[in-house]
Amino acid sequence: MDLREEKIGEVSVVAVAGRIDSTTAPALGEQLTLSLQAPKVRVVLDLSRLEYISSAGFRILLIAAKRADEAGSRLVLCGVVGKVRQLFDLGGFLDLFTIVGAREDGIAAAQ
Amino acid sequence: MNVVEITIVNQGSEIARVAALLDQLGTERHLVPEMVADMHIALDEVLTNITKYAYTDNAEHKIHIRFRVLDNVLEAVIEDDGAPFDPLVVPAPDVSAPLRERQVGGVGIHFVRCLVDEVTYKHVGGRNRLVLKKRCRT
Repeated sequence: MDLREEKIGEVSVVAVAGRIDSTTAPALGEQLTLSLQAPKVRVVLDLSRLEYISSAGFRILLIAAKRADEAGSRLVLCGVVGKVRQLFDLGGFLDLFTIVGAREDGIAAAQ
Repeated sequence: MNVVEITIVNQGSEIARVAALLDQLGTERHLVPEMVADMHIALDEVLTNITKYAYTDNAEHKIHIRFRVLDNVLEAVIEDDGAPFDPLVVPAPDVSAPLRERQVGGVGIHFVRCLVDEVTYKHVGGRNRLVLKKRCRT
């Protein structure tokens, strides 16, 4: 798994490439904890280069979404396509997150 | 190379070694990466469950994984000496519950059952034996 964070205006965009599984999920959790540390922040999680995500990864995403919710922050997911979208659907996770199409939409939705 | 085997101990950090072996097998046998990905996820779920919940003592235990490719089918046999656990009898999770009430717990086993083509479980000689079969070539 490869993680990249960049700032676009007030929005942090975290791009995840590769795999989120039990081995890599903790590093994603640390990144999201950092990105969502301050209250009322805007974070876009770009999953367009993600190969797959196991339940260990979904656990991290749910924790991050709850934390964002409680802190008045915004967490938007984009690039949820192909196999990754199938996994979100299978786990019933599509409705639990704010999901948009492209990264630009994510940045707009987070603002 | 039709059969490859690996033995790991019951620690989460060991799971990466199994994934690496599966990657190697997939490349060597020209398996379809998207199909192998499903086996990766299923294995991650199964091995996470075993390392987290199968043992109540603090001792080191061995988990044995054997991969075999037969025609178009990739088979993984996972054996452990932990508490008997049949993933097939676990009820499917309520995937419609709202965010605050959701438990991710049952989703892992749900993924296993949905992503591979065949799952069989047996408790033999004090050991759990789980067989996963996935078609990995078209």
